[in-house]
Amino acid sequence: MVDVRRVRGGDGLQEINAEIDEILDAVVEKTRHATVEFFVAYDKNPDPKVLAAWLAPRAWREIDYVFLLNEQIRRYGLNFSRTHITLLAKQSFQEAEHYEAVGKAIESLGGIVPTIVPASAKPWSDFLWDCLERHPLAAIAAWNVSETSASGSFEPTFEAGERHGFDEVVRVYRQIETDEKFHVGLGRQILSRYAKTDQDREEILRAMRGMRDIAWTTFTPESVVIENA
Amino acid sequence: MNDMTLSDAKRGHSADAVFDARIAAASVEADGVLSLHLASLSGSALPRWTPGAHIDVILPNGLVRQYSLCGDPDLATWRIGVLREPASRGGSKCIHDEMAVGDRIQLAGPRNNFKLVDAERYLFIAGGIGITPILAMIRQVAAAGLPWTLLYGGRTRSSMAFLDEIAGFAGGDVHIAPQDECGLLDLQRFLGQQQQGMAVFCCGPGPLIDAVEDKCRTWMPGSLHRERFAPSNRPPLPKGAFEVELARSRQRLTVPAHRSLLAVLQEAGHSVTHSCTAGICGTCLVKVLAGVPQHNDDVLSDEEREAGGVMLVCVSRSDSELLVLDL
Ligand code: FES
Ligand SMILES: [Fe+2]
Ligand SMILES: [Fe+2]
Repeated sequence: MVDVRRVRGGDGLQEINAEIDEILDAVVEKTRHATVEFFVAYDKNPDPKVLAAWLAPRAWREIDYVFLLNEQIRRYGLNFSRTHITLLAKQSFQEAEHYEAVGKAIESLGGIVPTIVPASAKPWSDFLWDCLERHPLAAIAAWNVSETSASGSFEPTFEAGERHGFDEVVRVYRQIETDEKFHVGLGRQILSRYAKTDQDREEILRAMRGMRDIAWTTFTPESVVIENA
Repeated sequence: MNDMTLSDAKRGHSADAVFDARIAAASVEADGVLSLHLASLSGSALPRWTPGAHIDVILPNGLVRQYSLCGDPDLATWRIGVLREPASRGGSKCIHDEMAVGDRIQLAGPRNNFKLVDAERYLFIAGGIGITPILAMIRQVAAAGLPWTLLYGGRTRSSMAFLDEIAGFAGGDVHIAPQDECGLLDLQRFLGQQQQGMAVFCCGPGPLIDAVEDKCRTWMPGSLHRERFAPSNRPPLPKGAFEVELARSRQRLTVPAHRSLLAVLQEAGHSVTHSCTAGICGTCLVKVLAGVPQHNDDVLSDEEREAGGVMLVCVSRSDSELLVLDL
């Protein structure tokens, strides 16, 4: 019922709201599709190690968000309200919890939790950090798309979880699903509060379009790389 | 369904559940006293009750008031008598000024803490609107053919409700004593000496009950049964605080000014999904059954805020003294 994209607190995105929603819808759909494809393949050969490997770039996303959010606060935070600094820090803490929880789930499946960026997550990570360099709002715009993309993967993951009984993964992603609503809403609120100029809006759109084309790729069956310990 | 009797269950209510009913009729019973006839929405019978029972009325402004049932327990509808209290903080005032026949009204109950007991004869003492539970008792005792006495005081005769109805009950020794004509009730005459086999039932304002208790001190323990009504004498909540009632457990919680509703719910052992605790994620959404939420979130739409049917408990509070939540 509640639509976090309609969060209050600023009007800096008014002229580009429709385009932003289109980008978000597109990435959700692509991610949903990629996740469904992954589980179609997985159904044929349900190997927990494959599931663990599929989760690995997502564990990396969680810890990379921690690094990125902290750097965002350090570099640009004092241009934001104190409440927004607190909420970004809270998001960062939750992303750390997600890294821990997804990590445990990966280990329970016999996989390895990444401690360096996995090759399949490299384009995603590079793009995000490049955005942080370019503009104070660009990384937030990019991760807002990336966060939203994950929402396309939840339902197919939960359904597959029922078929295959990977309850721990489902439990972890139920919590992440709740927190992502916060992260998506917070990102949108910050963008609309602090975007003032056309150049701000252009940078936001550039970051979002770029992430739209990357975020879903680590959900496909082809992206899975099984690393040996 | 553990706490419901089978007949309650058949009628579709537990005594604790809040349910919608409608005002089927209203009439003026005396100066400042209105009686309301309450009926179910479906036309089926409301839950059964016994004399002395009261119900909760949850008003549209979120206030909850208790009223004794004063009609006939054999009827499908309920009747309550509502005195307009001069110092009303919105309870009786709301009923008198804002509610009309046909309106929906939220109710819970009935519950009975003032049950009629078996006795050979009865002395009923009522002060003012305290006549309401007594009226139902008299109806039952008169129908059973037992002897009864009523001592009924009020400010003035015109302020005393249900006089005609009382006159219609059989077997009674009725003493109507308006204060402007007769002074204070002559308790000494009726209570000066313990009377064997007599049960005393008293309902009215605090000073009357205190005086009756005093007179009955020499009576056999257990002879006196009383119900004090002083609903609006409760001290107001501190500024910024409000109360919530959890409709499923009937639990009442106070939310102090400096604490969130979410924190108070959690502390009381209720787990509510949440994430941001800042009114952004919308995951702590709770349904509001009565009362006026004060929306402090950033994410509900204007329509949702206005309708008042949901709230985000991490940041939102209450504009009414009480909120009834679907928890
Ligand atoms: S916890 Fe996020 S809106 Fe209440
Ligand atoms: Fe996360
Ligand atoms: Fe997140």
